[in-house]
Amino acid sequence: MKAAQFEHHEPTTVDKAVSLLESLDSPTILAGGQSLVPMLRFRLARPDTVVDINGIDSLDYLREEDGYLKMGALARHADIEESDLIAEKYGSFADAAPLVADPQIRNRGTIVGSIAQADPKGDWGSVLIAHDGEVVARGPDGERTIPADELFLLPYDTSLGENELITEARVPIPNEREGSAYHKLKRKTGDYAMAGVGARLRFDDEGRIEEAGIGMTAVDITNARASDAEDRLEGERPSAELFEDAGELAAEQSNPESDEHGDASYKERMVDVLTQRALGDAAERAGVVKRRVTP
Amino acid sequence: MTDEREITLTVNGTEHTIEVEPRRLLVHAIREDLDLTGTHIGCDTGNCGACTVLRDGEPIKSCMMFATQADGSEILTVEGMEDLPEAGGDLHPLQEGFREEHGLQCGYCTPGMLMSGKAILDENPDPDEAEIREGISGNLCRCTGYQNIVSSIEYAADKLDEKAAADGGVVAESGESDTGAEPDTDANTDAARDSAAAFDCGVENCCGGPAADSTYEHIEGPDDRFDDLNGELDRDTTEETDE
Repeated sequence: MKAAQFEHHEPTTVDKAVSLLESLDSPTILAGGQSLVPMLRFRLARPDTVVDINGIDSLDYLREEDGYLKMGALARHADIEESDLIAEKYGSFADAAPLVADPQIRNRGTIVGSIAQADPKGDWGSVLIAHDGEVVARGPDGERTIPADELFLLPYDTSLGENELITEARVPIPNEREGSAYHKLKRKTGDYAMAGVGARLRFDDEGRIEEAGIGMTAVDITNARASDAEDRLEGERPSAELFEDAGELAAEQSNPESDEHGDASYKERMVDVLTQRALGDAAERAGVVKRRVTP
Repeated sequence: MTDEREITLTVNGTEHTIEVEPRRLLVHAIREDLDLTGTHIGCDTGNCGACTVLRDGEPIKSCMMFATQADGSEILTVEGMEDLPEAGGDLHPLQEGFREEHGLQCGYCTPGMLMSGKAILDENPDPDEAEIREGISGNLCRCTGYQNIVSSIEYAADKLDEKAAADGGVVAESGESDTGAEPDTDANTDAARDSAAAFDCGVENCCGGPAADSTYEHIEGPDDRFDDLNGELDRDTTEETDE
């Protein structure tokens, strides 16, 4: 089906985009379009106007600055996948990027667009939560930051104002005693997650967990934080038992629905397993434990 | 409120200026406005990849972007493959590969597969099977005959490698492939059949999918890397845990 007719705008600056959003009736922002274009074609979305932000070159960046890894609204999944900086320091991002859809989609789709879409099956929201990240939103009243925990309200619904545009997603730069990972279960390449877990661990000088972040994908009505598991981890030294406890707590806190891909109890069990694996990789990447080499 | 916009697309080296509605998809502009019907429309949902074209050298799904968004870009479609330098005025090695290795089957997904195959080889002239499968993971084949498609792309990689060598160019990878003129198709297909037989995503009625690896390996029990580590996780003892 064709998309319904819409008025089309292509601002080249953020200011212009924001003033357009303010002046137009129910506008929709088009970034990568890999979720929006099909929605328009099925007429699940019928906006009167589409504001295509792809011409705003200043939003195309991926860099460390002021203590943050900053990802502009035009940073594509493929940019994350191909970045040496990401590969070197941001394990969970490097894990998640190649698991998003397929190569063609990753060339077009954006990480910020995916976060703004707020699909509970989206991977990036969980990674953002695990990293205690935030988004930067620009609106008529200027700029504000929204922590990941306050962003996701319902499936496809965020706390973003009607005339606001997410210009950036960002996470604090990890220190050298920090590691992160993302694990995802899906039926086949290109699928959304049946369950996914992003984990981040920061250790203190004594090898104890100083800070833990765990975000879960596709097992609640939004990307969700496994706060009970985080609490269990903090202050402790890593061990198999500890991570098993954390996995169990994450599973308990998850709230998956049964569907054709598996029933809820199965998905809870997967949250448990994926959490343990993500924590194991995160600890290993932080340099606190080494992979046991079996003879 | 039909405000048509004028856009310029350079498709297969020829510049075209056309007028399109903002809601016109790139795939429709290519097929209907430019009459290049080699690019197919399959699923209408962005899943199948039949509409894959290269935009400024990058594979994208042309049913997932509006034509206006491609204004000013260079597009390569399947019709342009024979004109590429490596084709030498004949079939492109990828097209030849699909013929030789029976990669076409019903043929509907083939244009998209060829474009993804081109993107794979542009990035990495000597991909292994897993890399090829990952590269075509956005392209569905409803004949579910991925093995022949993988073999076709492997065939093209070998052909391009031979051509480069014959032209006095540097052989990309001094692997097993420098043995002779003809690629070892028997060995290829045997190995291929084995891995095709071994591939089973485990889901009833699933199409199979071109997955590089079954994600079901994740379902095994939790790993055991900490089993012997309890109590010895101080930073300075980590080396000893490696034996």
